[in-house]
Amino acid sequence: MHAEAAIREPLILGHKTYADITNDIVGPIDNKAPRGWYILISIAALIAAYGTGCILYLISKGIGTWGLNKTVDWAWDITNFVWWVGIGHAGTLISAVLLLFRQKWRMAINRSAEAMTIFAVIMAATFPGIHMGRIWMAYWVFPLPNQFGSLWVNFNSPLLWDVFAISTYFSVSLVFWYIGLIPDFATIRDKVTRPVMKKVYGVLSFGWTGNAKAWTRFEEVSLVLAGIATPLVFSVHSVVSFDFATSVIPGWHTTIFPPYFVSGAVFSGFAMVQTLLLVMRKVMRLEAYITKKHIEYMNIVIIVTGSIVGVAYITELFISWYSGVEYESYAFINRATGPYFWAYWSMMTCNVISPQLFWFKKLRTNLGFTFFMSIVVNIGMWFERFVIIVTSLHRDYLPSSWTMFHPTWVDVGVFLGTIGIFFTLYLLFARFFPVLALNEVKSILKGSGESYKQQAAHHHH
Amino acid sequence: MSSTKRYWMDAADLRQDPEAIKAREAEFAQPLAIDQVLGDAQFNGASTGRRDFLKFLGFSVGAATLAACETPVIKSIPYVTKPEEITPGVANWYASTYYDGQDFASILVKTREGRPIHIKGNPRFGINRNPALTKGVVNARINSSVLSLYDGERLKGPRKNEFSDNASTSASVSWDDADKAIMDGLSAASTAGKRIVLLTGTVISPSTKSVIDGLKTRYAAVEHVQCDTISYSGLTNANLKSFGKRVFPSYDFANADVVVSVGADFLSSWGSTTEYTWQYASRRNPDGAMNKHFQVESRMSITGANADHRIPVKVSEQPLAVIALHDAIAKKSGGATIGGGLENEELAHAADALWGARGHSLVVCGSNDEGVQTVVNSINSMLGNYGSTIDLDNHTYFFQGDDAAMAQLVKDMNAGAVGALLMAGVNPAYSMPNAADFKNGLGKVGLTVSMSRYADETASLCQWMCPDNHFLESWGDFMPKVGQYALAQPVIGKLFKTRAWQGSLLKWSGSDVKWNDFIKQTWQANLAAHGDAMASFDNVWNQSLHDGVLVSHATPAMPVAFAGDLGAAGAAAKKAAAGAGEWELSLYTTEAVGDGQHANNPWLQEMPDPLTKITWDNYVCMSLADVRRLGLPDYLGEQSPAGLVTVKAGEAEVTLPVVPSPGQKPGTIAIALGYGRGANGEKVGKAAVVSDENGERKPVGQNAYALTSLMNGTVGYDAVNVSVSATGGTYPIAITQTHLTHMDRHSIVKETSLAVYKAGDKDAYNEAHALPVHEDVNADGVIDSRDKKPVAEFDLWEEHPVEGVGHRWGLSIDLNSCIGCGACITACNSENNIPVVGKDEVRRSREMHWLRLDRYYSSDTHWAEGRAAGESKISLYTKMEEPSERPTVSFMPVMCQHCNHAPCETVCPVAATTHSNEGLNQMAYNRCIGTRYCANNCPYKVRRFNWFNYVSEKFGEVNPAWDDLGRMVLNPDVVVRARGVIEKCSMCVQQIHAGKNAAKKAGTPVKDGSIETACSAACGTGAIVFGDLNDKKSMVRSLSEADRSYHMLDEIGVKPNVNYLVKVRNAEEAAHHHA
Repeated sequence: MHAEAAIREPLILGHKTYADITNDIVGPIDNKAPRGWYILISIAALIAAYGTGCILYLISKGIGTWGLNKTVDWAWDITNFVWWVGIGHAGTLISAVLLLFRQKWRMAINRSAEAMTIFAVIMAATFPGIHMGRIWMAYWVFPLPNQFGSLWVNFNSPLLWDVFAISTYFSVSLVFWYIGLIPDFATIRDKVTRPVMKKVYGVLSFGWTGNAKAWTRFEEVSLVLAGIATPLVFSVHSVVSFDFATSVIPGWHTTIFPPYFVSGAVFSGFAMVQTLLLVMRKVMRLEAYITKKHIEYMNIVIIVTGSIVGVAYITELFISWYSGVEYESYAFINRATGPYFWAYWSMMTCNVISPQLFWFKKLRTNLGFTFFMSIVVNIGMWFERFVIIVTSLHRDYLPSSWTMFHPTWVDVGVFLGTIGIFFTLYLLFARFFPVLALNEVKSILKGSGESYKQQAAHHHH
Repeated sequence: MSSTKRYWMDAADLRQDPEAIKAREAEFAQPLAIDQVLGDAQFNGASTGRRDFLKFLGFSVGAATLAACETPVIKSIPYVTKPEEITPGVANWYASTYYDGQDFASILVKTREGRPIHIKGNPRFGINRNPALTKGVVNARINSSVLSLYDGERLKGPRKNEFSDNASTSASVSWDDADKAIMDGLSAASTAGKRIVLLTGTVISPSTKSVIDGLKTRYAAVEHVQCDTISYSGLTNANLKSFGKRVFPSYDFANADVVVSVGADFLSSWGSTTEYTWQYASRRNPDGAMNKHFQVESRMSITGANADHRIPVKVSEQPLAVIALHDAIAKKSGGATIGGGLENEELAHAADALWGARGHSLVVCGSNDEGVQTVVNSINSMLGNYGSTIDLDNHTYFFQGDDAAMAQLVKDMNAGAVGALLMAGVNPAYSMPNAADFKNGLGKVGLTVSMSRYADETASLCQWMCPDNHFLESWGDFMPKVGQYALAQPVIGKLFKTRAWQGSLLKWSGSDVKWNDFIKQTWQANLAAHGDAMASFDNVWNQSLHDGVLVSHATPAMPVAFAGDLGAAGAAAKKAAAGAGEWELSLYTTEAVGDGQHANNPWLQEMPDPLTKITWDNYVCMSLADVRRLGLPDYLGEQSPAGLVTVKAGEAEVTLPVVPSPGQKPGTIAIALGYGRGANGEKVGKAAVVSDENGERKPVGQNAYALTSLMNGTVGYDAVNVSVSATGGTYPIAITQTHLTHMDRHSIVKETSLAVYKAGDKDAYNEAHALPVHEDVNADGVIDSRDKKPVAEFDLWEEHPVEGVGHRWGLSIDLNSCIGCGACITACNSENNIPVVGKDEVRRSREMHWLRLDRYYSSDTHWAEGRAAGESKISLYTKMEEPSERPTVSFMPVMCQHCNHAPCETVCPVAATTHSNEGLNQMAYNRCIGTRYCANNCPYKVRRFNWFNYVSEKFGEVNPAWDDLGRMVLNPDVVVRARGVIEKCSMCVQQIHAGKNAAKKAGTPVKDGSIETACSAACGTGAIVFGDLNDKKSMVRSLSEADRSYHMLDEIGVKPNVNYLVKVRNAEEAAHHHA
């Protein structure tokens, strides 16, 4: 057992036994769901159904049902895409990077964070699909052998890099997540009594026996996958940023984008984790596992990444002045003072100013405030993408082509719909999947559990 | 040691089992079920394994799914018996003539498989031919007229209308019945001794005049009244009084060193524009003898936008400006003065310039007031312009209409003195100032016959509708000027049971001669009368028909003496200016729909106005200051509607949206005529009445003819005292360019003054963009920031191997020759099957035009000066968005620039847009999946996305490609694009291929000028030149190497194959120069 310094705050509160942990996590799966769950999933599913309807309408009528025009050919679609991809960054960061750094506090949150990642990436992947004029030809973005002679995809196109980056990221995340789930599914299989559930979880757990050899392999695979996933955390959003950085449009053509996008992604990802976990710990009574300390740690990540993002915004402004390029200079002045100034200042307020409040310990350990801030950051990060995409496009080189972008109900409906689908999936996850990596949490119980730490402290004296 | 080991595949191998050895020879261990399946006999008995079943299932579902994804295939059927002159895939061009009472042009009509699909100017003959370029000028109205042939709302045969107190019925009748009834009616009127009136627009056809004479012979008291929708009675009356000839003279702008126009929009709507356009453009070359053009006007017209000096005056000041010019010149020439002219230094300056160029100058005026025009005649007479730039001997036959005769007719109709009224080419119930009187009188006429192609405002009130052919279905002859003759020939059989109106008149005159035979007979007689050698009339006739014109006889122009009553004219002119109120109104016609007869043409309705960039509406043009004073919106956009005002002139009023129009003289407004067709539910053509954003069918715009009035015996298009009041309502406007200025961006439009250009320092007006490099470029021994290389020498990646290899197609666009008429836009529509998307989509900035005409107004704020004065960037940017109250205007045609380093090509994930080895940036529609990344990354924003399926019922109201009839106008060489793909200018790649094939067949290299894009062919001023940049002797190559040549946005290094030539204004003060 890895002994831990007494001054470190415990990561599991109260006196929990291994059996308690199993019961706390498997219990809600085995029992009937609370009424609140049904209410929540009904709302989420309703929104999801509306959004799906909007998507079907979009596909049947054409992209013209969105508010795009000859000058602004991307707006909410790609904003949503980047926003969701960004959100999808926290999960892998928590499970992979923190695993490599042996951060024990990740144990309590990695499972749900990664579930969030998977669902967010699914939502993200929706947009490049549905934003195509001819979605039925979407498979052409894959380098498939074909009968058109030497017709191949264009490897110069950042959109193609996106295809590879997102699909790789999604598959690795999914595998990583599922591998982690196997021992927990086995625990559920052993615990539940209803035969159907036993059967289903039996299948899901791939016949996990729990012997020492299996555990060794489990640890090894986790480490290897963490090693693979870690560069992906940085590559995915870098590649997404190339969509803009490699273009010729003032406001897009910016070399700072890759690190700027990655930190922004982690920033928004952690905010979304906060949003979800703060609700979940309350509803599923996981306060003993997801402690204030966890929340505080995540808030610290938010301060750091928020500050990086802020520095990036200011660097962009500086470079637009320093470069002396008139179009670049105009693009940024237009962002701040032009017709979309409200979007820019919403972004600045939400992303740069508000996270700085977390320097106050009182605020970063206040759960209500944290929840509020997590929403603010997510709004801010949505605006960041909107600002980059729309304000750069709507007034680029030729003033003759300058326009405004006005969203339609379909734009709004599709975005809301993806939020609905996301929450539906997440609620299903919370109902039927172990929301904590229970076997991993057990591994830190003796070292970081409150009562054990107290006992250890008592022994020493 | 050699290996002696032997390995056995299995036990059977060891045993050398003969059966196993045999089995191994077969490719598959077990016979495949497919053999059984394919053999009929055993089909039912064949056993299908589970795996095979799944394979079949998978294959069939997959195949069915894939098949279902394909767009349906519509099979075409070839000719069974091929007409001799038609080769499928090869276009036939026919020479013909366009004349509609407003525009005249000798044209070539392109037909494919028997369908006319495109119109361009006749490059070899006709008064609209630009001799320097061997190109014929046609405007947007003329080249779009091919579409009106395929308008499903045309009358499909004769009809009889019956009217009772509160209802009317309309029934189809046969031509025989209609002819009999009409002839009976005419005879009855004739017998009753009542007037029989034939009311037409100006007739310039000698044969038609003979036909009318025939009608006069047959019936007693037949009278022919001519009435122009836009009247020039004031001018022709003035000529009658000044020179004894009631004619519209020939003007020669090519011979005028100084042009002063007072309110005459001679490049767009005044007079014989197709002729003036090339004449004027021929004097705008800064390397030649550039003319000097002053424009005195209240609204910003296309002509004013081209002027070197534009002097904004109020509507009421225009007659006084004419007097001022007159008196200034009279003082110099020693002639009589009038007194009371407008005091204006710039006018005095204009008068000096005129006097300096006397004998080679020209003053024209847009007024329809006899007095004002008489004063203008006196000015031109003092300047000695008659016989030089104005020709009364070889005058035109245009605009013979007589407002007085028309007024008398309406009076007689109401008095019940008219027994029969036959009408052709007119629509008085729509276009007259007192349309109500006319309609009222129509009910009192015994027999009313309309020969309009539509059941329009007038026709639907007539007892008989005897529809005329479309001009492309008709024969015709024309005499536009003394000694100039032109012919029109049908290029398609009649689509409906219509009849040329002259044919109808022949019939009613009791003649059995067919109209085309009649024309032929007339010419045979005419030519014989001229004493021409008539060895073979058929040869002469065939040659003339082929050319579109007949041999002409011009007489030398002689100077004439002004014999008008100057005193009376001056008094009349002052009367026209008197009584000015708070608001003054001028009515004008637009480049798009003209006098209103083209209001049903969707190409024209969707063509943005060259200045306001508004489509599908007319509106009140108002200065920005006035717009703000009234508290109306000064920015128009998708969600920024225009404010509505009610304009009252006398009894008439009209409520229209207000469009802020830089250059409009404060205190004045302008409204376009020609809109608001079909306001009472008449079927006036496809696009005249369309659904608004709420799905309600409404006429496009409002009819402003009601605001005209009879003044001094002529129709006045100016009103010096109208009231304007905001209603508080707003109205959505479809505008294609929401921004007014170019924000002082120095590499978009470059312009300079003639003096700077002539000084010869290229860097002073066309500085190349250069970047500092780390090598000693200037060889001064030091590497510093002065060591620069032009942007063109930098390449981020490998160049496309198009320079000097094979062809490299390119365009050169001269901003000096471009007058902003927009004929290129509609020509491009016609050639490339550009979908028409309607007002609501245009409002959402989704117009599909591959070629657009950017218009920039100058601002009073300039970047460099403002920065030097220490003004902040933010404040400067805001101020630069504000156009000057007296702006100069730049037009810039922009199409795909076919970049050699195209940003669009690198970003397409599926390589749907690629570079051809001839320098073209090409689009493979079939490959496009519609990510629109290319459109985002295009710095010129020329890519257009198919947001919807435009060939669908939703767009059927406006898009010709929807219905079977409208579809006939499509160019079969260009695919109609599907929903969800990007499209853009292809540089008319179909024409390039046709030209290359022709050259290959002839075994010669492609000759410069043998291939034209639709835009370059349509550009009669020669502003757009197409050719091979790799052909060192080509025109486009030499233009691209000229000192004025530059690439738009050169500094971003995309290396376009389209270059522009710096605009040069012949103005004293240097045009604002961006260093």
